[in-house]
Amino acid sequence: MLNTGSTKLIKLEVTRALRNKKYLFFTVLYPAALFLMLGGTLSGSTKVMGTELTMPAFYMVAMASFGALTAVLVGNSERIAKERESGWVRQLRLTALPGRGYVLAKTASAGVLSLPAILVVFAVAAVVKGVRFDLWQWFALTGAIWAGSLVFAALGVAIGYLASGDNVRPITMLFYFALSILGGLWMPTAAFPQWLQSVCEWLPTHAYAGLGQAIELGGAPHAKDVAILAVYFVLFTGAAAWLYRKDSLKA
Amino acid sequence: MTTTATHTAAAPDTGHPGAVVSFENVTKSYGAVRAVDGLSFALHPGETVALLGPNGAGKSSTLDLLLGLRPADSGSVRLFGTTPREAIAAGRVGAMLQTGGLMEDVSVRELVTLACALHPRPYPVDEVLSRAGVAEIAGRMVNKLSGGQEQRVRFALATAGHNDLIVLDEPTTGMDVTSRQAFWATMREQAAAGRTVLFATHYLEEADAIADRVIVLNRGRVLADGTAAEIKAKAGARRIAFDLDGSCADETALRGLPHLTGYERHGDTVKLQSSDADATVHAVYALGLYPRNLEVAGLGLEQAFIALTEAEEADASC
Repeated sequence: MLNTGSTKLIKLEVTRALRNKKYLFFTVLYPAALFLMLGGTLSGSTKVMGTELTMPAFYMVAMASFGALTAVLVGNSERIAKERESGWVRQLRLTALPGRGYVLAKTASAGVLSLPAILVVFAVAAVVKGVRFDLWQWFALTGAIWAGSLVFAALGVAIGYLASGDNVRPITMLFYFALSILGGLWMPTAAFPQWLQSVCEWLPTHAYAGLGQAIELGGAPHAKDVAILAVYFVLFTGAAAWLYRKDSLKA
Repeated sequence: MTTTATHTAAAPDTGHPGAVVSFENVTKSYGAVRAVDGLSFALHPGETVALLGPNGAGKSSTLDLLLGLRPADSGSVRLFGTTPREAIAAGRVGAMLQTGGLMEDVSVRELVTLACALHPRPYPVDEVLSRAGVAEIAGRMVNKLSGGQEQRVRFALATAGHNDLIVLDEPTTGMDVTSRQAFWATMREQAAAGRTVLFATHYLEEADAIADRVIVLNRGRVLADGTAAEIKAKAGARRIAFDLDGSCADETALRGLPHLTGYERHGDTVKLQSSDADATVHAVYALGLYPRNLEVAGLGLEQAFIALTEAEEADASC
């Protein structure tokens, strides 16, 4: 499926994203800085409310997930909406690149860029806060958080095709903050009132953070979390595909 | 006139065998507005065709349909006997649209390199850069270009590989006179190499100078189709003006002059348009009139175009 043209497009997408300092700051440095601020307030041995995890361990997964979410959701939605408006998407449709190639390249490059976001948070946690896990856990954490970010890449594509260049930022931010905060990426949801907790439990970000937390506790991700993420993935991909098709009929 | 065809369509084509582009009774509506209304035409290998029409005539819609950017409501659009998408995927079509945006945060060279990588039959990057006149700005970032430079980059993207058909929508908009001339010189080379070139323009002198065939669209249909000279003839090729010598001329007799395509009178001044000026002037004398300050002048394509579209608007409102 990936011919030379598609790989070239992915490479160029990555190159230009790395040139964009604002994007780099928000995807790579911001989550690591938040980790130090939020995870550094309490001693390393305090257990996080409602979990068996220490503060640094909890926030390491939360912020790695948050960074990956930022890279794929904000990266995809804003660029797609802006490039639809500028006509670059239209220009690409006049090349031999298959119709889906654009979306795939966007998602692939966002995926490439979410990896450093995850790894930088891990490195800061290990070095500054002395977080320690088995080698398999580090690999499993990276893999799970990276793979889980695909769900939000699909959401980013859907928003990119739903919004216009002008309103894409507020719409993205709405999803971004609601999902981050209510999903428990910024603070443990156990602090929320009971009724809110029972809603938040079903959010994709809650399940997403759950993947990493389960691995940190030495187990496999919970089937419920995986199922929730799978359902959202189907939902977001379906919405993205439908909006994409609608958009390509409008040219 | 270029007639050499380097490529002919291999696949069978229903309406126009061997046609590069074939529109058959194509319609497209946006809500209540019928932008393209039963449009039929065919383009043949090696032709350089100008697409003219007033705003809202359906030029852009026609190009969108031609390039498969939008689906037709009915009728068939075929490029080289296949669908527009297949023809583009095969690298047979290069297109430059006004609405085509460029990728940001990349250099001109990076963008052109991408276009070459995406083309099934690419040219070397440096060749594309220099042909489009962007070699000296290859290192510049795309978002820092002037309007004319952007246009040239779009042209580079449209000519990144060996196309058989080049489609250009208002290609010289934003270019200064020198770049415009350089642009058309390149375009002529492309046509001479046997490529079919279709361009929409509102600079009528460009259509007059470059195209060996002009298609005039109005209200989503073909209003006229022929060489620039034929279009002018069809519109009433000559303008005749004279003053009447006080002698009170019969209005109906004047209007009844042979070959008239336009009539205007302001006091003693009469302005006519005629498809056969010699016969018309002869008939003026035959009426027993003594026209003074007689002028006979050719119509430019622009006036021909206005005359044609106005005539249809008048018919439509009757």
